[in-house]
Amino acid sequence: MKMLLVEDNERVTRFVTKGLQEAGHTADHADNGRDGLFLAASERYDVIIMDRMLPGNIDGLSLISALRQSGNQTPILVLSALADVDERIKGLRAGGDDYLTKPFAFGELLARLDALGRRTRQDGTITTLEVADLKMDLLSRKVLRGARQILLQPREFKLLEYLMRHAGQVVTRTMLLENVWDYHFDPQTNVVDVHISKLRQKIEPEPERSLLRTVRNAGYMLSAE
Amino acid sequence: MALFMRSSATTLATGYVLLGILALVLFALPLGYAWRAADNDVRLQILGEDSQRLAEVFNRKGPAGLADFINERVGLQIAGERILLLTDAALRPLAGNVPAWPAGVPAKAGSYTTPIDLDHHPTMVTLVRTELPGGYNLLVGRDVARLVPVMTRFWYGLAAAIGVLLVSGVLGGILIRRALLSRVHSIGQTVTAIMHGELSHRLPTGTGSDELNTLSVTINRMLEQIEQLVHGVANVSNAIAHDLRTPLTELRSRLEELSLTRPPPAEAFAEVEAAVADVDRVISIFNALLRMAEIDTGMRRSGFVDVNLGELCAHAVEFYVPAAEVKDITLSYKDEAGSLHALGDQLLLAQAVNNLIDNALKYTPAGGRVTVTTVRPGADAAAMVVTDSGPGMTTAQQERATERFFRGDASRGTPGVGLGLSLVQAVARLHGGTLEFADLHPGLAATISFPSKA
Repeated sequence: MKMLLVEDNERVTRFVTKGLQEAGHTADHADNGRDGLFLAASERYDVIIMDRMLPGNIDGLSLISALRQSGNQTPILVLSALADVDERIKGLRAGGDDYLTKPFAFGELLARLDALGRRTRQDGTITTLEVADLKMDLLSRKVLRGARQILLQPREFKLLEYLMRHAGQVVTRTMLLENVWDYHFDPQTNVVDVHISKLRQKIEPEPERSLLRTVRNAGYMLSAE
Repeated sequence: MALFMRSSATTLATGYVLLGILALVLFALPLGYAWRAADNDVRLQILGEDSQRLAEVFNRKGPAGLADFINERVGLQIAGERILLLTDAALRPLAGNVPAWPAGVPAKAGSYTTPIDLDHHPTMVTLVRTELPGGYNLLVGRDVARLVPVMTRFWYGLAAAIGVLLVSGVLGGILIRRALLSRVHSIGQTVTAIMHGELSHRLPTGTGSDELNTLSVTINRMLEQIEQLVHGVANVSNAIAHDLRTPLTELRSRLEELSLTRPPPAEAFAEVEAAVADVDRVISIFNALLRMAEIDTGMRRSGFVDVNLGELCAHAVEFYVPAAEVKDITLSYKDEAGSLHALGDQLLLAQAVNNLIDNALKYTPAGGRVTVTTVRPGADAAAMVVTDSGPGMTTAQQERATERFFRGDASRGTPGVGLGLSLVQAVARLHGGTLEFADLHPGLAATISFPSKA
């Protein structure tokens, strides 16, 4: 994916661009709001990563508002040290699609960027999801592994649906908490891991044909191989 | 003097004195006017009747007879009090006690009030002029001077009343001001002392229930709160320093050792990962503290919405059931309120219940049970209770449980930073409620209760 990073801190910039390149993405960089606005308006990006407090006259949020007003719908992830709930709401109201607070783990950032980039390419009319021999029918709410039907609780269904929609991507625990349980806080315990292992038991009766992998220091990934 | 004029007591007293004077004048003026008018009417009536009588004498006895009658009466009467004058058609005096026809009286029948020259003194008189047959004129009048001292006394009385009002008003103002100022001064001095950091000072309060006393009591309560908060902040700062020092010390020694010993890459990477975990722990403590500070400021109260507490608890229980099963604990939700709604912050209430469940699971041994219940303790009250079958808490522990960074002995070695229950308490307080513990022997009941209508 082609990304734009608008960030004034050099160290963070180096850390993020290097990480993105290693993950196979290309990243342009602007260290102030004016250049950021210029790049975002003139080039096509899959995702924009936007710091909020930028040098110069344009801060991150007004930059986002300006882009949205000009009809630019590129997904934007706001990356900021302002962590209050109210600040998050402000960021999302201005037109941001996701909000990640500093300090952050790179795995978390990458997983969220993947999810944002995927969102634009996906159309909303999908009725079935498929990963290898795991099939999910969103209308009849049936899940099949091969020919065998798997019975899931409503929340387990939602968890699996989220994982399948993001198949091939790393999904972090925070992303699962926010999107599956709508919990925008850190429960401080490994409850998500327990849910995952329970789900794993149901969808993977034979452990050697595992689809749901644990990605160390990041989260989980559902993929065919 | 300038200070005196600026005092609110003085302003108030001046205002009341002026108002009093105005009321007095407004009362006296119409009264004086009515009295004068009535007096004049009566006098005119008497004069009219007098004229009538004299006219009858004229009718019976003719001009000469009336002249005699008048002269006889003038001789008997004290001059200056009653004026009698009979003239012919050319206004030449025929009889009476006035030497000539007064200049100010027009040649027409009627009553007049006019100054005339009486014994060489201009005197205010009321006159009634009657035209008699044959062109004769009769003037009957009365001196008004008799009324002047009464009127003067009336004005003097009014002035004296105003004077008394002024003096008593000024005196009262001074006294009130002195009493008020001395108390305001003492309040000011105490507040100044407090501003300089002597937080233990309190305003002097009496037993009375006047406004200043009530204000002082309220301010004292506020000071108590401030003192508690300041001490709380100091304690929390110490606790933070202590709790952050541990992972920071570990981190530091890890990094220092790494740079000194330069181990092979595999070992070095393991150490670096451990260092990242240390930093993550520091960050999570920071985030928890910031979140609590955010709640404590009460800023989030503006975003209160209708929250379905039953749904919220059921959701939280559902979230923790797998984790409870792993520990072989029965976790369940019991709805004793039936559709319990309250105004609140959905996210914070959810986090509070989650923290309580998390805490209960942490302390309950295998085979135990944890139950979440929604109850309605009163008409406009809501409560969420989390009971467990763990070891419970002693009274001393219950008191300390919500202190930041306090951790029960049983939780040593389990993950967590000891902020969970303080966050629950902060959330309860934000909703105008409380977090209470009760020892169930065995087990513990933690109750968040708050008014269901904000």
